[in-house]
Amino acid sequence: MSTDALDRHAPAQSGIDRALGLLDGFREHIEHVQPTLTGLPVLWVRRERIVEILRHLKAPPASFSMLYDLSAVDERLRAHRDGLPAADFTVFYHLLSVDRNEDLIIKVALTGGDPNLPSVTRVFANANWYEREIWDLFGITATGHPHLQRLLMPPTWHGHPLRKDYPARATEFDPYTLTVEGQQTEQEALKFEPEAWGMQRERDGSEFMFLNLGPNHPSAHGAFRIVLQLDGEEIIDCVPDIGYHHRGAEKMAERQTWHSFIPYTDRIDYTGGVMNNLPYVLAVEKLAGIEVPDRVKTVRVMMAEMFRISSHLLFLGTYLQDLGAMSPVFYSFTDRQRAYKVIEGITGFRMHPAWYRIGGLAQDLPVGWQQLVQEFLDWMPPRLREYELAMMRNALVRERTRHVAAFTTTEALEWGVTGPNLRATGCNFDLRKQRPYSGYENFDFEVPLGQHGDVFDRGQLRIEEMRQSLRIIQQCVDHMPAGDYKADHPLTTPPPRERMLQHIETLITHFLQVSWGPVLKPGESLQMVEATKGINSYYLTSDGNNMSYRTRIRTPSFPHLQQIPSLMRGGFVPDMIAHLGSIDFVMADVDR
Amino acid sequence: MPYRLTRAEEEQESSDRYPMGRRQSSEEYVKSQLERNVFTGKLSDVLNSAVNWGRKNSLWPYNFGLSCCYVEMTTAFTSPHDIARFGSEVIRASPRQADFMVIAGTCFIKMAPVIQQLYDQMLEPKWVISMGSCANSGGMYDIYSVVQGVDKFLPVDVYVAGCPPRPEAFLQALQLLQDSIQEERRPLSWVVGDQGVYKAEMGSQREQKRSQRIEATELRTPDKL
Repeated sequence: MSTDALDRHAPAQSGIDRALGLLDGFREHIEHVQPTLTGLPVLWVRRERIVEILRHLKAPPASFSMLYDLSAVDERLRAHRDGLPAADFTVFYHLLSVDRNEDLIIKVALTGGDPNLPSVTRVFANANWYEREIWDLFGITATGHPHLQRLLMPPTWHGHPLRKDYPARATEFDPYTLTVEGQQTEQEALKFEPEAWGMQRERDGSEFMFLNLGPNHPSAHGAFRIVLQLDGEEIIDCVPDIGYHHRGAEKMAERQTWHSFIPYTDRIDYTGGVMNNLPYVLAVEKLAGIEVPDRVKTVRVMMAEMFRISSHLLFLGTYLQDLGAMSPVFYSFTDRQRAYKVIEGITGFRMHPAWYRIGGLAQDLPVGWQQLVQEFLDWMPPRLREYELAMMRNALVRERTRHVAAFTTTEALEWGVTGPNLRATGCNFDLRKQRPYSGYENFDFEVPLGQHGDVFDRGQLRIEEMRQSLRIIQQCVDHMPAGDYKADHPLTTPPPRERMLQHIETLITHFLQVSWGPVLKPGESLQMVEATKGINSYYLTSDGNNMSYRTRIRTPSFPHLQQIPSLMRGGFVPDMIAHLGSIDFVMADVDR
Repeated sequence: MPYRLTRAEEEQESSDRYPMGRRQSSEEYVKSQLERNVFTGKLSDVLNSAVNWGRKNSLWPYNFGLSCCYVEMTTAFTSPHDIARFGSEVIRASPRQADFMVIAGTCFIKMAPVIQQLYDQMLEPKWVISMGSCANSGGMYDIYSVVQGVDKFLPVDVYVAGCPPRPEAFLQALQLLQDSIQEERRPLSWVVGDQGVYKAEMGSQREQKRSQRIEATELRTPDKL
């Protein structure tokens, strides 16, 4: 880790001091202050007092009101631990304070064959799924957890896939077979047992109906299952069940090179395209110490905003379809086709261009791109006006969505809700403004806010966001900086081709970097971006290799789904469908 | 029986004497009409062909999607691509009403028993299109949670390459499925013929088009639109 790179991304010493000051009463429990490239203070604390520490940090004056992320690292094979406390596994809690726009990462070292730590679900409600996830994938027990069961893997699964001694490839196991008996066993295991979730089967002599919605349901937007406990049409309680779309992206990152993992990021939020590349390449660039030219930053912003529009258009069509309106999807997909014309013209692919590179872009903008983008910019505003008139001002839509599935900012923060869904509650937290990255500070745009945090506001706000994205893209077209599309840095991948044609030395270097991929120095970095559906971040741990030691992908849709039961208790089934439409989630963004 | 034939409109002969027209005796009339109207082929071929024609032109897709490919599949349903041109716009939310299922996306080990269940709930005749690399073979995802190709447990009729395939590719797959259905032989009734389902070997498009594809010598550079 070069010292200048550390300086540039290191949290201001004041941040660390403030964090230490907030934890003054727990000073003897702080084991280590870890220097990282995350830009955040990272404190290692002792396991015994973790619940008290987090409770203290959540309350004023610290006011870290959101548990932004919680996951673990299998430390057993990590070679470069430079002064870190001894650990077989590490659990980290990423806390976020929206008021102060400040973060803090708390890490806990676990040793021994049966790693466990106290559950923090009593402090942060949304720790529930995260703790189930680390039990499922790492075998780390959160003692005192109300329902510690597998979350992503099937209930019949053996082993904990994210442990380093667990094989990654499907081809390392016996080929998959499905027998009649196996089919019955699996279906039996999927059967819902209300008692296991502390639910009653009847009340006052009348039986509840348990409705299994999913894992394949037209309004569930993918492989998502939710079991509803119904009294008539009223939802008494519900249990979301996820993991039907777990593609093991985090494990995949541990065997792909830094470079060849880029296409996998596209497929996390699969409607977000290159928007997913952005946090990943930015985090890798922090590790590598690459500063990209202004042109690269601007092109990245332009394409990311194109995908925000394309994703929001998909949202708009399906959201209204879930409310029962059949036509809007035909309009919005026509617009998406226009957007894809631009995206395909520039990147060469529609949904998953994988177009950003470490230290730059796959290629420069093609000749004539301005006109292509301008056509789209001229096409969209009248369409958006029409959508607003025909759909959002429609009396039926308004009646159907006003004050439905509404939540407040406090509730949103409690459940880790970010992005448009958080801003619909009136909370002004947009990372493009609060923590500008990739040159967003140079753009003139507004952050649309809602008031009521209901289904209507979530829809209306996204139309407004599309307008702002169009504004940003227009500024990119008008003021595109000249310059190179790749950074002049030895770790830029793939390296500029002209460089390899000098002599045999440059050829060998080029060959190694393309075939093996770049080798990054040990360190940890993190990048959060305001993605299409909320805050998406990549927390990378490098062990000085050509691939990541651990890649933690924090996706916005995961907490959004976890919030559903708290919101829908007492609601009606059609309201839940409306809410599902308004969340804007894709399952790959939940299960990764 | 001998007939007398008088043509209604015939070239006027030189004679202008009534009655006009030339009369001739013919015994071939009935015989020729018989040959023209009585079908001497196999009735089952005609019936099969008619039934297949009906089936292939009103294929109802099952509204089933797994991942990214489903977005491109849905794109094929909407106006710019308009799947109604091929008679497949009637999307069914219930497997019992659907004719074919598109495995549009990654097939997960957790999802496989569910997919099998849904497939079992579809009524015969039914077909499966495997859309995208994941469904074809696992694709990019050689990972613990992914079944390496949906054909590990489902019979697949058409494979569509791509990650994800374009909507046009999906539409082509639909047409290939239609071609294959036209050639199928299924029992016309539970009492007619043997009860097997015969499917034609349609051959891979890659091999059929190889010679045409390798003729391309100049590829467009990505530097301009």
